[in-house]
Amino acid sequence: MSANLVALHTQHLLEPVSSTYLGLLSRCVRVARLNKTFPERRQLEGTLRALHADAHHGLYDGIYLDSRSGLPNMASFTRPLADKGVGEDALVGYEDQASLDAKRDQAEVFARLASKRRYYELLQKSALAPVDEHRVLLRRHEPASSRASFRVELTKLDGSGAYLRVVIELTQTASVWSHKLVDLDTHGEVASGTEALRGMVYRFASYDAETLFIRLHELEGVHVERVQRGILGPVRFAIPFEAGVATVLESKADATDEAWSAARAAHAQDTLMLASFATDVAALDVREEKSNDPFHPLLSEGIRDVERARYVTLRERHPFRVYKDRKFVVSPSLVDGVKRACASAGCKNLVYSLR
Amino acid sequence: MAGEKLNLDILQKDVAYSGEGISVKSLEENIHEERSVQNVKVEELKVLRERNVEIQQSLAEEVGKLRKFSDYLDGTATKGGFWAGVKEALSHLPGLKNIAISQRSIEELLKQQYQISARRVKDAAEYVDTLKQSEQDLYREIDRINEKIVESATNEATAADHVLELKQLIDQIDAEIQTVEAGSVDARDLEAKQDKARAQLAMHSANLQLYSAAEDRYASLKNNTRKLVETIRNLGQDIGQYTTAASIKLDMASAQIQAIGTAADASVVMLELKKSLDVMTESMNQTTQFVSETQVFFRKNLDNLLQELDTFDENTTKVLDENLEFSKQIEDARIEKAVQKAIENRAKRGDAAESPAEG
Repeated sequence: MSANLVALHTQHLLEPVSSTYLGLLSRCVRVARLNKTFPERRQLEGTLRALHADAHHGLYDGIYLDSRSGLPNMASFTRPLADKGVGEDALVGYEDQASLDAKRDQAEVFARLASKRRYYELLQKSALAPVDEHRVLLRRHEPASSRASFRVELTKLDGSGAYLRVVIELTQTASVWSHKLVDLDTHGEVASGTEALRGMVYRFASYDAETLFIRLHELEGVHVERVQRGILGPVRFAIPFEAGVATVLESKADATDEAWSAARAAHAQDTLMLASFATDVAALDVREEKSNDPFHPLLSEGIRDVERARYVTLRERHPFRVYKDRKFVVSPSLVDGVKRACASAGCKNLVYSLR
Repeated sequence: MAGEKLNLDILQKDVAYSGEGISVKSLEENIHEERSVQNVKVEELKVLRERNVEIQQSLAEEVGKLRKFSDYLDGTATKGGFWAGVKEALSHLPGLKNIAISQRSIEELLKQQYQISARRVKDAAEYVDTLKQSEQDLYREIDRINEKIVESATNEATAADHVLELKQLIDQIDAEIQTVEAGSVDARDLEAKQDKARAQLAMHSANLQLYSAAEDRYASLKNNTRKLVETIRNLGQDIGQYTTAASIKLDMASAQIQAIGTAADASVVMLELKKSLDVMTESMNQTTQFVSETQVFFRKNLDNLLQELDTFDENTTKVLDENLEFSKQIEDARIEKAVQKAIENRAKRGDAAESPAEG
């Protein structure tokens, strides 16, 4: 079997299927033209490249995927990061590449060391995607009015298996700095998030931008201007191999189900890919409140009647609007089906063809 | 003319020893050179032993943290209530000292702990290849020593044959001298030839002794190199087994931690959290167990090995000293001994040739 469910929401994708998958996913990430709302493309591509057999030269037999999102899971994200650290120390004691290559046939260990050296060298030059990363940037500091504006960024491999980035733009006033959401250095130039802010953003990263906006905005003296989330996934694939077709084993039902099933039926022997990239923005400058994401309607649309009154009151207190969107990168045979699925959901989405 | 029946061609014979020739000094230098390879490997093992101690300490600390956390989540190890226990346990995780529990995400902390653990296991696994590389280096060293042993044995046999031929010639010249008039030209001529034969006998009997000593010393060196190889191979296999098991367990732990996701911050999923911690603790336990066992292995074996190598050093020096002393001894006695050895050598080879089935 090329793909097995080996632990909770985890499938093991074996070579050579895993490298085929990684190649497809890299192409999807490139074609999707991800902006800064999303996790950094360069780092993500670095990780996907490091997981590919061409990088590790057969040192690993495959990768672990989250069987719901279809993306590499934490073990896979951690692997090149840990290897990069180990490699940095190990390379000091290794013989040079030419010597190791010359000894390849002498013993299995020399062949492996030759491969590892290449792999470690590549990792040292690669920017890799972090499992988690917090950053706080100072946008504006007005000492006279005791105000400071910050941009808080969190990149996170989420519990749902999605890889996402949350960006928050907020302003804080001196009178409430005792809450210590953000610390400024003594020169008022470098900002760092407090543990309280880190913890709050981290825990709320999986929720809608709207939820995080309200949660932060309700803190005394904190004025939130924008919360935006860029989410990679879910991804679906069908990769034929000798013993069958490798697919995402626990895909969640969504608006593209029908299109996906039809394409699978019509192109049973073809490699298929369907990747989506969502944005979710809650901000003061959003003109129209709308969800153009066929997978996720607005929170207001799904709220129960008993909670609606409280929700409306809450929204009236905070004058932001929400805009959700999703773009797709799909195999050519899926383009029309996915467009129709989006239209059926009342959305008009970008659907890029993966050629 | 006297001595016509003598085979004087022996004196002109070109005795071909393989290799670069031998002397007490060159033997000492060669042995020293070969020993330096062993010394390097022993030094590597010493460094590994120190690193082992470091890893053991850090792994023990991490296992302690995980176990404590797991116990608190279980509700079995705290008097001040569940959250008081969790708070205390969390204070052992990276970056959480003196920070209120409500401020940090448990999910984030677990992910950080996982990454540290993954790095530790990979660090340990890296040693497997380091050891395997050392093992291969030593196998090559053994090959080189074997070549020296074969070369020494071959040269010893060549020397022994020639020593016997020369001894026979000297005896024949002795007998011939008896048949001519003392002090005559023939007698003087025979004596001159005998002196030549004695000089060559002295040289080749010294070679015989040196090649014999070299063979023995290289054999001792090989035995110690073999012990080093075995030490390194066993250690590599142990580390390989433990780290593979630990790595698999960690992969499974990562899946659980990721799957728990944001829910890990809610008390309702603490049971799941505990499950993932148990898997993680088990993984770290496996690694710690390996370190602990190899620690004992090191203490038992490396010290013994070092002791043996020291003894070997002493023995080598002793043999070389004896050899130097021996070379100073009276020529006849040395020759006699060499001849005796050559006779025994030939007898042995004769036995071996007569009973090939036993070989």
